[in-house]
Amino acid sequence: MERTEAFRPSLWARLRTWVGKGEIRPGLLAFLLVLPAILFLLAIIAYPILYALWLSLHEVTLKGLAKGELPFVGLKNYSIIFRDPVFWRSMLHSAEFVGTTVALEVTLGLSIALIINDARARAFGTLNKALMLLPWAVPPIANGLMWFYIYNPSFGYLNVILYKLGLIDQFMQFAGNPKLALFSVVVAFMWRVTPFSVLLFHAALQGIPEDLYDAAKVDGAGALARFRFITFPLIRSTLAIVLVLRTAFAFMVFDEIFAITAGGPGDRTWVASWYTYQHAFSYLEIGVGAAAAYMMALVIAIITVTYVLVVYRRVEYA
Amino acid sequence: MARTVRRRLRLDSIAISLANVLVTLFILGPVFLLFLGAIQTEKSLVEDYMRLIPTQVTLQNFEVILLGREDILHDTGFYHLPRIIFEFKRVFLNSLIIATTTTVLNLLVGSMAAYAIARLRQRWTQGFMYTNLASRMVPLMVLMVPLFVTLRTLKLLNTLVGVIITLTGFLLPYTIWILQSFFASLPEELEDAARIDGCTRFGSFLRVVLPLSAPGMGAAGVIVFILSWNEFLIPFIVNTKAEVYPVPVLIATLVTDYHVYYSLVCACILMGLLPSVALALLLQRYVTRGLLAGALKG
Repeated sequence: MERTEAFRPSLWARLRTWVGKGEIRPGLLAFLLVLPAILFLLAIIAYPILYALWLSLHEVTLKGLAKGELPFVGLKNYSIIFRDPVFWRSMLHSAEFVGTTVALEVTLGLSIALIINDARARAFGTLNKALMLLPWAVPPIANGLMWFYIYNPSFGYLNVILYKLGLIDQFMQFAGNPKLALFSVVVAFMWRVTPFSVLLFHAALQGIPEDLYDAAKVDGAGALARFRFITFPLIRSTLAIVLVLRTAFAFMVFDEIFAITAGGPGDRTWVASWYTYQHAFSYLEIGVGAAAAYMMALVIAIITVTYVLVVYRRVEYA
Repeated sequence: MARTVRRRLRLDSIAISLANVLVTLFILGPVFLLFLGAIQTEKSLVEDYMRLIPTQVTLQNFEVILLGREDILHDTGFYHLPRIIFEFKRVFLNSLIIATTTTVLNLLVGSMAAYAIARLRQRWTQGFMYTNLASRMVPLMVLMVPLFVTLRTLKLLNTLVGVIITLTGFLLPYTIWILQSFFASLPEELEDAARIDGCTRFGSFLRVVLPLSAPGMGAAGVIVFILSWNEFLIPFIVNTKAEVYPVPVLIATLVTDYHVYYSLVCACILMGLLPSVALALLLQRYVTRGLLAGALKG
């Protein structure tokens, strides 16, 4: 008896052969490797999405949370926001913000990419390529406060510069001006996010073989014709991705609104995320906030489906 | 003929250079103005505002924030001095803890999942990849409403742990997406060779794939670090006490209805954006590759 026991490999050795030498089935290994990620995604993304739906169908207050009393109210929270003119105005402001930002960002992003990619730019182009990531890395809230300070109506640099150039004869309001408030936020937001589009466009431009342009030149094509018939068709898939991604991220804008206008003046810069934030965390009507959040998620969901389709379509042809 | 062509070429390159100078101004202009604001006294900022470049350059704002030298400030009765500014060093440390832990967790959990997606292709890993891509687009505001309630129940409000867990989960889809494109770009023959030499699947992941994808890990790591350093909404909602603030929340609370020390606020913002900007510029090759891999596929 004792002899057989001596020949038996120790538990550790058996574990080693099982893990180390004997192969785990790829399916099981894949599952084990993905498991921690799945747990995180379930806890931080999937569960909150379902919980938000539940919350949006209940009346949730801090007092109710403390007592554990959250009465079911059906679609009442949704009917509250649908009957709230501020909600519709916030959605409208969001549309206005997204439209302006994305249009300007794509135009500016593509122009900058063409400018820094031009061989004749030499050292300037190299410098700009190196600096391009700077705005991207600035914390959004710091970016907002930086512009809040530049826009200051009594001593801000924008007023000083415009005055010195003779473009205005007295200092003016930017963030506090109902006509300019939303556009002020657009400019600040654009400064931070345009470099990302530049990066994608620049990469796409670099992928275009130089001899295509040479051949077109030989055929007598001008700069505009070369852009129209070579550059544009070859960056179209990148353009589609940039459009979809930037639309989604512009719709989620929060930090710059918080820092520059805080929704004001009046409700002129209330956008979708600001409406959600105010209801959930300032008025502490968490149920109403969750309902507003769900409407936001719905808009993003439509954009996301487009994004996934665009990304995978691109791969099939690549 | 030849001369006019040459002249046109020269004019073109001057125009391109000028356009590039404008681009440089566009990038550096706002940050330079912030810098100008930070290196002068409040008096010269508010009263001598028509002079863009201050007559007297001073580092007193940085001394106040970093050394707590409140005594060198003038007019303390007139302007509102936010006391929280003296917490800057602790808040900076909080940010460092949050960003580092989030990055390590993301790389650990993300690299395993990304390897499974890129190499151990199963029918369900494909589905996981679609879900992962879609999770990247979930608006943070939607998650924050229920997460606030959950973290409150779990008594994780006002802790760094609450922020770290939330941030890790929120950024994980992005990390997985970047890493899986890097893993997929490694030639499969390398792994086959390792396995013929007696390596297991997991062993070849540890010994062959991971060392070779150091650039990919670096790219994902630096991006996650910057994004977690910059994150404002999560800690702003989860943490309401100054001792658990990260930098973005501190600078957001500086501006109130009072007349604050703008020069001091400028200095604070400048120091808050310095770490992520410096990292992005120093490691820009990695960041660029990561961002491209994250937006496009492969």
